[in-house]
Amino acid sequence: MNSKQAKQILVDNLWFNNPIFIQILGICSTLAVTNLLSNTVIMTLGVTFATAFSSWTVSLLKNLIPRRVRMIVQVLIMSFYVIILDILLKAYLPEISKSLGPYVGLIITNCILMGRAEGFAQGNPPAAAFWDGLTSGLGYMWVLLTVAFFREFLGFGTLMGYPVAPKGFVPWTIMVMAPSAFFMVGTLLWISKNIMAAREKAKGGKA
Amino acid sequence: MNRDSVFYTIIFTFIVTFAFVLPLTLAEQGTSEMVAKNTETARRKAVLTAMDIPFTGDAEAASLFQGVTAREKDGEVLYTYDKGGKTVAAKEFFGMGLWGTINGILAVNGDVTSTVGLQIIGHNETPGLGGRIDDASFKNQFRGEALKDGKLKIRSGAEAGGGPVDPGDGVVDGITGATRTTQAMEVIVNREIGDIKKLLGASR
Repeated sequence: MNSKQAKQILVDNLWFNNPIFIQILGICSTLAVTNLLSNTVIMTLGVTFATAFSSWTVSLLKNLIPRRVRMIVQVLIMSFYVIILDILLKAYLPEISKSLGPYVGLIITNCILMGRAEGFAQGNPPAAAFWDGLTSGLGYMWVLLTVAFFREFLGFGTLMGYPVAPKGFVPWTIMVMAPSAFFMVGTLLWISKNIMAAREKAKGGKA
Repeated sequence: MNRDSVFYTIIFTFIVTFAFVLPLTLAEQGTSEMVAKNTETARRKAVLTAMDIPFTGDAEAASLFQGVTAREKDGEVLYTYDKGGKTVAAKEFFGMGLWGTINGILAVNGDVTSTVGLQIIGHNETPGLGGRIDDASFKNQFRGEALKDGKLKIRSGAEAGGGPVDPGDGVVDGITGATRTTQAMEVIVNREIGDIKKLLGASR
């Protein structure tokens, strides 16, 4: 992997091929965790860690894995990293483990992990797969943090639990509920596609 | 060797599963004592906080917990603490919430006429909605809330919202948008009050 490829992977995962608003993966957790910024931060860190390491491991073992059990082995590898994370949090950071509750276990079912393992790690060397997993996690992270920022601010009038809204602010209960994440993701999708289309047009115009 | 042969597939699956599950088992075993200790510390801190006994740090909590008497009867543990001549009683509860078990500590005064405090140890309620039973704004309402006819009412549904109400009327505010969790808490708290009363009566 040279620096040009690395940059390409980074840009793709953060923007042109973003797991949330282009690949539409990992939407379940986007709906569930984004009503509080603090939960979102920990969840996205967990996903980033798990995606990077599971992609790296899948890539290391790719020539050994029999094709017919490929996906089962991938899920096994993902579960390994997620459960290790869960065990370590429970032992060393019990407070964070408590506030995350069942979310950590749910990382296993996050489609981004499987998507990257199948779509990238299976056909690329370990270092590139690790970088791809890491940047996919970051692409997921920035979109979820954006959604969570608006949902927590409008839904509770707080940010990271600190009250920031002006006095007399009436919280929007809909922002606390899962459907509002659909509206938020839809809006982000619309904005990003528009920016991409405008750039494409500008490029086309010059050429 | 043919990577797609049945024999290779079976051997590979066996080895790879063993290789990944063994470290997990070791990690789980290695940390189980620590996890148990963390759980116990969290439970003791919850008992102290529910009883309104202030502490800073784990060490102070551990020494203060020495002053709490624990009595067991029919598998139920009743904690009592002598707070300047006044008895405070507390008990751990497990009750059914909307999604799963709600587990925590409820503390009441010696003659069971008012609540002293509520702490939530674990729950699986909807984050941001029912999960807010673990918010200070909800729990603080149980600090010295007088009971009415030995019962406590938690406002739910359209009645909920509007913030804490008079601590003397036996009514606390529920959570807007979490009617079922609020109703579950009302059932749990009242059953718990009855249980503590029974245990206190039996020990006299």
